[in-house]
Order: sequence, then C-alpha cells, then structure tokens
Amino acid sequence: MLMFKRKPVKTVLVCCGTGCLANNSRAIYEGLKKRIEESGARASIRPVTKATGCNGLCERGPIVKIQPDDIFYCGVKATDVDEIFERSVLNDEIITRLLYLDSSTGERVKSHRDTEFYKRQHKIALRNIGEIDPASIDDYIERDGYRALEKVLTTMSPQEVIDEIEKSGLRGRGGAGFPTGVKWKQCARVDVFPKYVVCNGDEGDPGAFMDRSIMEGDPHSVIEGMLICAYAIGAERGFIYIRDEYALALKNMAAALEEARKRGFLGRNILQKGMNFDIEIVRGGGAFVCGESTALMASIEGRVGEPRVKYIRSVERGLWDKPTVLNNVETWANVPVIINRGAQWFRSIGSEGSPGTKVFSLVGKVKNTGLIEVPMGITLREIIFSIGGGIPRDREFKAVQTGGPSGGCIPKELLDLPVDFDSLTESGSMMGSGGMIVMDETTCMVEVARYYLQFLAEESCGKCVPCREGIKQMLGILEDICAGRGREGDIELLLDIGATLQEAALCGLGKTAPNPVLSTIRYFREEYREHIQNKYCPAGVCKELTVFYIDQEACRGCGLCAQKCPLGAISGERRRTYTIDETKCIKCGQCRDTCRFGAVKNRGRRHDNNH
Amino acid sequence: MIITIDGKQCEAQYGEYILDVARRNNIFIPTLCHSDALPGQGNCRLCIVEVLEGKRRRVVVSCSYPVKGEVEVLTNTEKIRKMRKNLIRLLAAAAPDSDFMRDLQREYGLEEEERFQVYRGEDCILCGLCVRACEEVGIYAISTVNRGITKKVSTPYAEPSAVCIGCGACARVCPTGSIKMKEENGRREIWGKTFALLPCPGCGKPFITREELAYVQAKTGLEPAEILCEKCRQKRAARKMRDVFKDVTMK
Ligand SMILES: Cc1cc2nc3c(=O)[nH]c(=O)nc-3n(C[C@H](O)[C@H](O)[C@H](O)COP(=O)(O)O)c2cc1C
Ligand code: SF4
Repeated sequence: MLMFKRKPVKTVLVCCGTGCLANNSRAIYEGLKKRIEESGARASIRPVTKATGCNGLCERGPIVKIQPDDIFYCGVKATDVDEIFERSVLNDEIITRLLYLDSSTGERVKSHRDTEFYKRQHKIALRNIGEIDPASIDDYIERDGYRALEKVLTTMSPQEVIDEIEKSGLRGRGGAGFPTGVKWKQCARVDVFPKYVVCNGDEGDPGAFMDRSIMEGDPHSVIEGMLICAYAIGAERGFIYIRDEYALALKNMAAALEEARKRGFLGRNILQKGMNFDIEIVRGGGAFVCGESTALMASIEGRVGEPRVKYIRSVERGLWDKPTVLNNVETWANVPVIINRGAQWFRSIGSEGSPGTKVFSLVGKVKNTGLIEVPMGITLREIIFSIGGGIPRDREFKAVQTGGPSGGCIPKELLDLPVDFDSLTESGSMMGSGGMIVMDETTCMVEVARYYLQFLAEESCGKCVPCREGIKQMLGILEDICAGRGREGDIELLLDIGATLQEAALCGLGKTAPNPVLSTIRYFREEYREHIQNKYCPAGVCKELTVFYIDQEACRGCGLCAQKCPLGAISGERRRTYTIDETKCIKCGQCRDTCRFGAVKNRGRRHDNNH
Repeated sequence: MIITIDGKQCEAQYGEYILDVARRNNIFIPTLCHSDALPGQGNCRLCIVEVLEGKRRRVVVSCSYPVKGEVEVLTNTEKIRKMRKNLIRLLAAAAPDSDFMRDLQREYGLEEEERFQVYRGEDCILCGLCVRACEEVGIYAISTVNRGITKKVSTPYAEPSAVCIGCGACARVCPTGSIKMKEENGRREIWGKTFALLPCPGCGKPFITREELAYVQAKTGLEPAEILCEKCRQKRAARKMRDVFKDVTMK
C-alpha cells in the first residue's frame, strides 16, 4: 500500500492525425519528447491519431492535450514547445493564450469537454479516439480493451452473446440500420460451415471519415467486436475490407492485428479457451458501389465488385456461398462496450427505435465542422446550431443533406426532427453512413440534386437498366433545368422515373439514387418551378439563370465589390453607387459575397424582355 | 407447393424461380436479358412482378426470385406495367438503332422519344448475355468495361482479343444484333479479328475457325472428320433417327 500520494504523472498527448500532421505536429511531438526525456521529468508523451477533425477542432490544430488535468491547447506552434514544457508539464500552469476559444460563448475553455461542441456529444464508438496511441495494445487494454472478449469466453454462451446484442437494439451503422443481433442470430442458426465475419471499411461516401477515424485511431475495438461475433456464430475466419486510399488505416489495422496475435487475442486457442479465429485485411479498389455488401463480398472473392441479386441473404449464403455476417466498422466498435456495460445501459442512450449513438461528419456551412458522436434522437437543430455553432456569416440555414450521395435534403421546417434511422427515412432522406452537409441560402437545391446524380451516374456499376439508364436520363433533365432548358412536365417525369428506380433497381445504390431529386422536389418544388418556368435561379448559382445587378437604393458606394470582381466588370464612384457590366460578368458571385449591405441582387433571366 | 400467379394455381418446387413456373403455365412475362441457357442475370429488370407474402407486397425480378412459400404473384398490375414501360422507354433511348427495341417500343404503345437524350447510333442494350455466353464457353474474351453510364462490352483495351476463338456464341445470343459478325469468302470477322474458316467434312462449306475446331476437339474428344456444320449435323441426326425408327414404321 502506498504510504503517501504521489503527484500524478503527466501525460502529454500530441495529435498526429492526418490533419494535424499537415500542420507540423510531428515537430511539436519530437520537441516535447526531447525536452521530457532530457529533463527526466515524471511525464510521458505519446502521439495520438486524432484523425481529421474528430473533435471538430481540426482546423484549429495542431492539438496538444495534457492529462490528468485535461488541458487542451490548439493552434500550437513549434515555438510554443518550450513554454508548454516549462509551465504545463513541469508545473501546473495553464497557458491561456493557447486554450480553445469557444465560438458559441466567446470564452476560452480549459478542456475541450467544456465546449458547446463537446458537451452534447456522447462517445461510445469514438471512446478511445484521441485518448490512446493506436499502435499500443496496452493503451487499449488499459481502457477496458479485450475485457469484453474475456467476458464472453469465460462467462457467456454464444446464445447469450447474441441475446445481449439483440436486446441492446443495436442497428447497423453502415446505412440500412438492420438489427445487428437479428443478423447474428440468423447466421448462427444456419448449420453450414465454415462461416465468415466481415468488416465493411469501404466508406465510399466522399467526405465521410468516421470509419477511417476508428480504423486509424482505435483499430482494436473493431477487432474485438469481430472476435465476439465470431464466438457467437462459430466462425474461424474474418476479413476487414479497407479502401486502398486509406493508407494510415491500413497500416494501423495491420499493426493492431499483429499485436493482437502476439498477445493471443487472435489465432489458435484464443485466451486458452479453445477458440480459433483470425482476420485478414483486403484492400478495396475504391468504387463507391464496392461498399454494397454483395459487391464487397464479390470483391473479396476476387471477382468484379458488382452487386448481385440478393433474394438469399448473406447470413445464409454470403462469402463463397457460406454463411456470413457483415457489419460496418462503427457497428463493430460498439459491440465490446455493449458486452461490457450491458444491453440495458445501451438502451438508456438514444431513442426507442434507435438505441445508442451515431457518428456524423458535420461539414458544409456550419461554424464547427468535424466528426461528432451524438445520442440518437437528438434534433437536427441541436446538431447544427449548438454543436455546429450555427451558420457562418449569419446567413440563413436552408437545408441539411444527410445520408451520403444518395441521401436527401431536409429543409428548415424539419429542424426539430429527431435524428434516427426511421425519422430520417420518413423525411425522404436516410441515415446512410452519417454524412451531414449543411447548406445555407446561397445553395441552389436543383444544382445540389444535379451534383449528386452526376456522382451516382459515374459510380453506378451500370449492370441494371433502371439505375444505369434512369440516372443518366434524370441527370440529363436536371442539367437542362439548371441551364435554362427545363420544360413543362419535367418535375412529373423526374418523379415518375425516380419511383421506377426505387422499386426496380437491383441494389441499394439504384434504389436510393433518386433520393436527392425526390427530396428536393418534395421540399423545394417552388425552386424547381422558378428554374423551369421563370428561368430564374433564386440562389444565384445556376449561371444561365442568374443576372447580378446592384440595387442602387441599397448601394452605399463602398467599392469593395469592384475591388473583388476578378473581371473588372463593376464600375462606379466611391460614396456614390456602382453598377455591373452584364456583358463582362461571369456570375462568380464574389461581389454578392463581399457586399455588406446586401445590395448585389439576382434578377434572373425572366426580366430580360422588359429590360 | 402451390403458388398463385395472376389468379391461376401453379405447382412449384421449393427454390424454383417464379419466371420458370410462370412459363410452364403459359403465363407470359417479358424478358430481355434472360435466355434459357443463361438464366438469372437480373439486369434488364423487365421481368419484375409483384409478390404478396402475408401482409408484405413487394416488387421482385421473377427470373431470380426463388419460390420459398405459398405466395401470390401478380405479373401485370398497373404498377408493374407502368414501370415496365419506363424501363423500355429508357432502353429505347439508350439503343434507338435496334429494331428489337423499336418493336418493343411500339408494342408498349410508346411514342417517339422526345424528352430523353437519345443515343443515336447505339443498338446495344447491355443485357450482358454475350459476356455470359463467352464465359460459358470458357474463353473470357469479352467483358463489360467501365462502370455507370459509360459501361460497355469490349475486348480488353478494345484491341483484338488474343484468346477469342471466333465461335460467334456472343453474336448468336445477342437479342439486338448489336455484335457484328461478318462472313465472306471463307473468312469470319468478329471483334476486330479475322479468322479463316475451315470446310465442313460433310458438305465442304466453310463453317468453323481453326481455333474453334481445336477447342471442340479438346472439349469433346471428337476427330475433325466428325465435327460437322449445323446443317450436316441436323441431317445426320435425322438419318440416325430414321435408322432407329425404320423397323417400327415398316411394321
Ligand atoms: C451503394 C452502397 C454503398 C455502400 N457503402 C457502404 C460503405 O461504404 N460502408 C458500409 O459500412 N456500408 C455500406 N453500404 C451498406 C452495406 O451494403 C451493408 O448494408 C452494411 O455494411 C451492413 O453493415 P451494418 O449492418 O453494420 O450497417 C453500402 C450500401 C450501398 C447500397
Ligand atoms: S442498382 Fe446500380 S449499382 Fe446496383 S446493380 Fe443496378 S446498376 Fe449496379
């Protein structure tokens, strides 16, 4: 027993994720490390992978955290190293200048946990991100790692494991929200061996990085989740499918697998309990459609990554026609916590139909961007205005796009919508993998729909007719509308073809591809009509349907717009008024963005006749 | 077990595809990418039907949907007709130069397309049968390349294939005549490759490429003299048949 309480050892954490590394965090890490080692101070230091923006604070990196006081410094420079070492490592001082400035309150806060951004979050899947060194299995073990595995191997039967997961109500975080426990149960029931466990780490949504963060920052949580499933269904082989561009995720995952093998968590006779299981990494080629479960399995088998007709489910006939459980990275990361803390606890978080939390990547026109993990059932308003800090430049919120490329746009009337699987689907959007893009008044919803369809047209595998040809024609019509060639009846035709895709396409890509179009028509039909009938793009985005002019009443003659215009199309006299030469204007909108008086307006092409 | 298709009771085996059950019972379901020899692709989606299972009503493709219970199937509801019409309209715009699609367009009462982008000069509907046929032969000379709206059927790098044996299985199975196979002066041209044709041991007409002959020999173990053209094969079969039945008819 210790006779006296020793001063707690300080731990310095330096973020070395992709974002912070780009800001020279490696030099800060090396500098602090050198100082600590040379001085023999009672402190330890480790690099952590706080993958891009995981606290939404990435744009304020590099980030240095000092435990146990939870001091959170951001925007650290190499020149700050000495001061941090002297004052905060050797002593208990706080350097106010480096503390995080909370945009919602205007105050500096000591710990990132005190920020508005953080307070409403609840970390389960991201519990270890930024807290541990992903290369250290001991770090993971220290935070209850592999305890759930030990628990199931020593005290639970496979059936009890399945019951616990089923009772927890955990639903797949990869998109469709299928109940995970039910999937495991169905697979366990099939009396065919071998069986396989697969982790979907394809993450094809552009701009999404939740799964990457977990694989980079906490790879063992995924491995442990898969181990628990393998025990429950009786599988001996697992695969983690990671897209090839994810270099750091591939590296960290491979290292974690190796460590786990060395410690006897993977391989033969795991923890001396007679269980055999090992995991291989498969590198994905990168097509968006490869994230679809049947395409992914085809790809693992070495065939072309195209979806196949799925009337017999993968739990019966999946990989190499053998019973297979396939879950998403984030789903896997939730599993060990549920086993450790119980289904009851998990159900107490989130909403009735969607227990637990969900990780979102909050991006677009919000002040704080980045990865957030929130309890299900939280409203969109809380996410965007409390956590996200609202819309920059006091612009008006217009819509939030959720669910990735084939998700939908949700308007401001639905800001109080609780975010869970079912309500998002009802609203005409979907959970998808958790993308969340905030749009303000300067966004054109027809152009948004066109943009996503363009992506899907390129990413559809092209195998089935409704998806390949349907997206192509819908895209053509949207291009027409944006270019002023929209016709009467286009909206109805888009709805009609969209409905056919939803029902007749082979896989989820084609079935959900019309969402961007259908949801924008549902909530912004008037904007479509303006484009088609009045040849007017209210947001001033579609160039053919935008004519900028300066409202002579509102103009104060500051001349900023004239300075900004890249073509010199604006002329006038200071303190009088300015005008735009329409023949020179390329409609880049810089003048409108610059004007503080809202004097730059768009009258569209509709008034061309009486001009 | 018994399933109901458009009100008609049909006997079906567990696991049998709805399309097969329907055809056996003379219930017509249109298909494009289906051939009896190469079934179950599920690409064209024309064979969609509605399946009523308990309270659930959903749209499935009949060529790939296995019978697992005593379901009710509706092949021609208004919803299905509407979607089929859309599918044909989409395909007709994609392959307007195919007579096959033009006929279908007329059959479904569709007018000349005026809103969709029409891809003049195109007659391939990407049904995938040619690729399947080539795979079935075991050659793998052609495949679909690219994805999404730029997908097409091609030899690797669009160059004459090194492995193609010029058998023409792809051209024969193509429903729109999109694969061009030319035969002239004892030569066959396909996929940018020209093959010399060898004569039929029966009638002397050129009919097979050297490469295909070698392939058939290897596969069947037949001697070259036994490998005949289609016509001679039929004649020989008929002759054999006559021999067998001769005694019977004489009685
Ligand atoms: C076009 C398409 C792309 C998909 N991409 C992904 C992906 O990148 N990652 C993922 O986990 N699931 C993706 N999915 C969903 C998977 O098919 C599958 O439902 C999921 O991985 C199952 O895991 P879960 O139950 O844990 O969510 C995609 C689905 C479709 C239709
Ligand atoms: S729906 Fe699209 S992505 Fe899916 S199989 Fe059909 S063509 Fe391929």
